[in-house]
Amino acid sequence: MTAHDDGLPNDPEGIMLMIHALVDGELDAAAALAVERRIAADPKLAAEHARILALQGAVGRLPRPDVSDAFRARIAAIGTASAQAQDEAPPALPGLIAGAAQQRRATDTRPSQARPSPRARRFGSFDWRAMAASIVMTAVLASGATQWVMFNAASDSVAAEIAGDHRRSLLAASPIDIVSSDRHTVKPWLDARIGVSPPAPDLATDGFALIGGRVEVVSGRPVPALVYRHREHLITLVAEPQQGGRVTEPKDVSSGGFSMVHWSDGAFSYWAISDMERPELDDFVARFRKAAV
Amino acid sequence: MAERFNEVVLPHLGDALALARWLTGNAADAEDVVQDACIKAHTGIAGYAGGNPRAWLLTIVRNTSYTWMSRNRPRGMMAVGDLGDLDEMAAAHGTNVRDEDGPEASLIAKAETAALEKAIAGLPQPFRETLVLRDINGLSYRDISVMLSVPIGTVMSRLARARSLLASELGERHDRP
Repeated sequence: MTAHDDGLPNDPEGIMLMIHALVDGELDAAAALAVERRIAADPKLAAEHARILALQGAVGRLPRPDVSDAFRARIAAIGTASAQAQDEAPPALPGLIAGAAQQRRATDTRPSQARPSPRARRFGSFDWRAMAASIVMTAVLASGATQWVMFNAASDSVAAEIAGDHRRSLLAASPIDIVSSDRHTVKPWLDARIGVSPPAPDLATDGFALIGGRVEVVSGRPVPALVYRHREHLITLVAEPQQGGRVTEPKDVSSGGFSMVHWSDGAFSYWAISDMERPELDDFVARFRKAAV
Repeated sequence: MAERFNEVVLPHLGDALALARWLTGNAADAEDVVQDACIKAHTGIAGYAGGNPRAWLLTIVRNTSYTWMSRNRPRGMMAVGDLGDLDEMAAAHGTNVRDEDGPEASLIAKAETAALEKAIAGLPQPFRETLVLRDINGLSYRDISVMLSVPIGTVMSRLARARSLLASELGERHDRP
């Protein structure tokens, strides 16, 4: 092969790369013309050119993954959910109440179940009926109003707060704000509302079914909580995002008649609380930690 | 914000799934990865400064795929130190490894879907991702170079190497009875 003065590389590898670039439409007209001339003059290059074209065609004809309607809707919901939270949350209230209202409207329309928990009544200064009138919501009150009161009155330790939230959730019309066993629904829901969601493995095969999530307010900050069910028992798993990244082993912090375990994995600080016995809760914690790695 | 998310992200879900499927190796994991990536994209949409929206989303999908894989199957990951060796290998043997005996173009064109998919899945990861980004996702050399943080020359040699490996693999299949 003689040397060319068309500006193209003269080593065999260089010219091969130029043929790939030609097939990929990466060459300007002048370079493309020069490469085409080389191909026309050399059967080996022509064979390589034909191979690359054939391969690119074959790869291009491979079946592509279907974007199912359900999947598309789930992704679209990521955008829509946060827009709702931004648009509809009254500025004075934590956005979680409006968000919860959205969910409750669909899942629970029985006003008779909207009763304030004893804890809410204790902070009697908050007129939850006025709120009922203003946002025309029903079931959300039991949980929403309590959370708001606690938001303002948070003086207990975090553990006591979480115990209180868990107790309150058992008394409320529904212990969860987003009802779903599908982590693909729960995680985006939490993400859209508070911009963070913990790992949410479904441990149904281990006997701990993910049944939903809600937003808790701990030390004045909204934090995600997951709700699991084990036989007749509910487990609330509060996951507070961590700044420091400290990792701690599970520690028993049971109080107020509930079993409670606390640990951190560096990304989240977790509290698991339930009315189950400690060994059962420990079992849950071990399985969750294993699955959430 | 929601409109921008819908405009930038939703049209490219098919590409996102295809990339995640080839990086993680299966379609079910791909949906998990793309969903995580879309949540990140939604959070970061304010940082999207225009330009190719598909390349922007696919960059997030790629990063999410590797994070996801390092969390879910650490042994499947290739150590970063190996990448340099592969590029050297690509440069050394790159495209002129066989001077004359590539399979006929017609053989490649007739390759069965399953054989081709298996051959792609068998490519070393840097070659596989470059080939997928170019021939399945249709990104330009420059987009790929920016996404992978490698020079365009490296993109070109990886792509040439990937195609050469695929062609030989498909050719051999036909040689076997």
